[in-house]
Amino acid sequence: MLKAKLPPYIVNLPLLLLALILSVAAGAVFIPPGTITKILLNLIPGVDIAATWTNSFTVIVREIRLPHTILIAITGASLAGSGAAYQGLFRNPLADPYLIGVASGAGLGAIFTMAISWPEDLLGFYFIPAGAFVGAILTVILVYSLARVGRTVPLTTLILAGVAVGAFASALTSYLMLRSEDEIYRAISFLLGGSPVAGWKPILGILPYLIVGMSLLAASGHMLNVLQFGEEQAKQLGLAVNKAKVYIVITASLTTAIAVSFSGVIGFIGLIVPHVMRIIWGADYKRLIRLSIIGGATALLLADTLARVLLAPQSLPVGIVTALAGAPFFLWILRRAKSEVFW
Amino acid sequence: MVAVLDIRDLSVAYGRNVVLRDISLSVKPGEVVALIGPNGAGKTTLIRAVSGVITKRQGSIFMGDRDLSKLSPYQRARILAVVPQARQLGGAFSVEQTVLMGRTAYMNWLGQAGEEDHEQVRFAMEKTNTSHLANRRIAELSGGEQQRVFLARALAQDTPALLLDEPTTHLDLKHQTSFLSLVHQLTRENDLTVLMALHDLNQVSIYADRVALLLEGQMKAVGTPQEVLTEEMISDVYQTPVQVFSHPKHKFPLIFPDQRGLN
Repeated sequence: MLKAKLPPYIVNLPLLLLALILSVAAGAVFIPPGTITKILLNLIPGVDIAATWTNSFTVIVREIRLPHTILIAITGASLAGSGAAYQGLFRNPLADPYLIGVASGAGLGAIFTMAISWPEDLLGFYFIPAGAFVGAILTVILVYSLARVGRTVPLTTLILAGVAVGAFASALTSYLMLRSEDEIYRAISFLLGGSPVAGWKPILGILPYLIVGMSLLAASGHMLNVLQFGEEQAKQLGLAVNKAKVYIVITASLTTAIAVSFSGVIGFIGLIVPHVMRIIWGADYKRLIRLSIIGGATALLLADTLARVLLAPQSLPVGIVTALAGAPFFLWILRRAKSEVFW
Repeated sequence: MVAVLDIRDLSVAYGRNVVLRDISLSVKPGEVVALIGPNGAGKTTLIRAVSGVITKRQGSIFMGDRDLSKLSPYQRARILAVVPQARQLGGAFSVEQTVLMGRTAYMNWLGQAGEEDHEQVRFAMEKTNTSHLANRRIAELSGGEQQRVFLARALAQDTPALLLDEPTTHLDLKHQTSFLSLVHQLTRENDLTVLMALHDLNQVSIYADRVALLLEGQMKAVGTPQEVLTEEMISDVYQTPVQVFSHPKHKFPLIFPDQRGLN
């Protein structure tokens, strides 16, 4: 029997809120949540709470912490959402945007766009996600056609092709970065999963992509559900399989591109979060996609907060934390739930 | 709609390899036609071609006056449902979720189910005796239960025609006979047009109204079990000596294979 489950949204939404507050509060200087709330309330026109804190707190929250937190939340949500979609599309528990090379392809697209001209204005910020999207789509097409054996895409060839294409894309990315010497610091932090740019501009840049990507993703659950019975049965059940596959590839690549554009290539979030949600709350993709989006944001926010406080005032690239914390956690989940994961 | 499934001069090829040649067969409403033949004769290919998942090279497939090959998957799934060969897919879904996916052709692309969809799902689960399994996961069920769930999913499609591809292959005797009895009963009750690939010739004899015998991609014979399941025909096609007896009471042909020389 399906176990009586914890209500998914009652568990996940407060967790997300907690992670958001922690993310804004923590850093080189700790800012109490009460103060954060007042600073945020002051943003609303007409509200004017007298400041009992130093003015620098207001600047830190508004101009540094808040945009960073939002960018991290968007990145985590996009990675986990697209991870769930790829896993469903390939009917394969290991198909996450990182392992199948799509994230690296998107990263190459983003860096390529940056290399042409480092963005100084908002228009430049709009082009970077577009470059990442093209990189992601080309990569997924290449990996899929390389991995295909006859009518099927076996796990082994999919991962092998993904790792190979991903490594190739990463190498090209590194080459592009090394050629533009000024950008080397930003480049390295990008590669390890750190935002190379701060402030509100990147968020404005990805906003249109985010709205489209998340709407498409949220609507893909039913198609993914039907596809779990295999393409042949899906067609016999009345799904236009080819259209559905194109839809999901475009959607998942778009959301991967959103994640990678300003946060670099971050592993494990897209792999782990959908698994955890699936193990606890089941395989219905309509719900799984939404839960992965919420859980992805929460997980990456927590990892990023850890990355900033562990060696404060220095901050670690978040990719290191997701791998350090994510890999053992993933193995633990896998061992514990072996019998419950039905693919 | 006079829901006669009419396959005419159908040819199918994988690349240059012609696997079905000039197949003609029609199945009437309320009739179970069994598709038999040795392994590799083209039974599964014929079912896949009729269900529209592989393209035909020549010929036509009509259901009543509608040309199935000209329809979208969405339209076709309202006319014809398929019960696949027993194998585990979608095991993480609950039984009810699985049966509800039979309503895909009636739902929008978000998969929002209405009252009519739920009503049809309830009906299909009652008919197949799977209601009590509603919240179980597919992977936890026995082979017989899984097959009933897939039959329920096909019934939820509410189609005049049903294709079944060796649905009893992995089932034990009890589940084989109860499954086939159920299909037979549903066919009569709902005037379904049923084409079913089967391995066991004695089951064919009991449950099929007519038999279509395939050999090497060609239709070797079509007729009642008495006409097709003869000693000469079966011994020849399966390259195995058999004896055929008549059931003492019901007059079904009973096939007894023998390689020990008892014949």
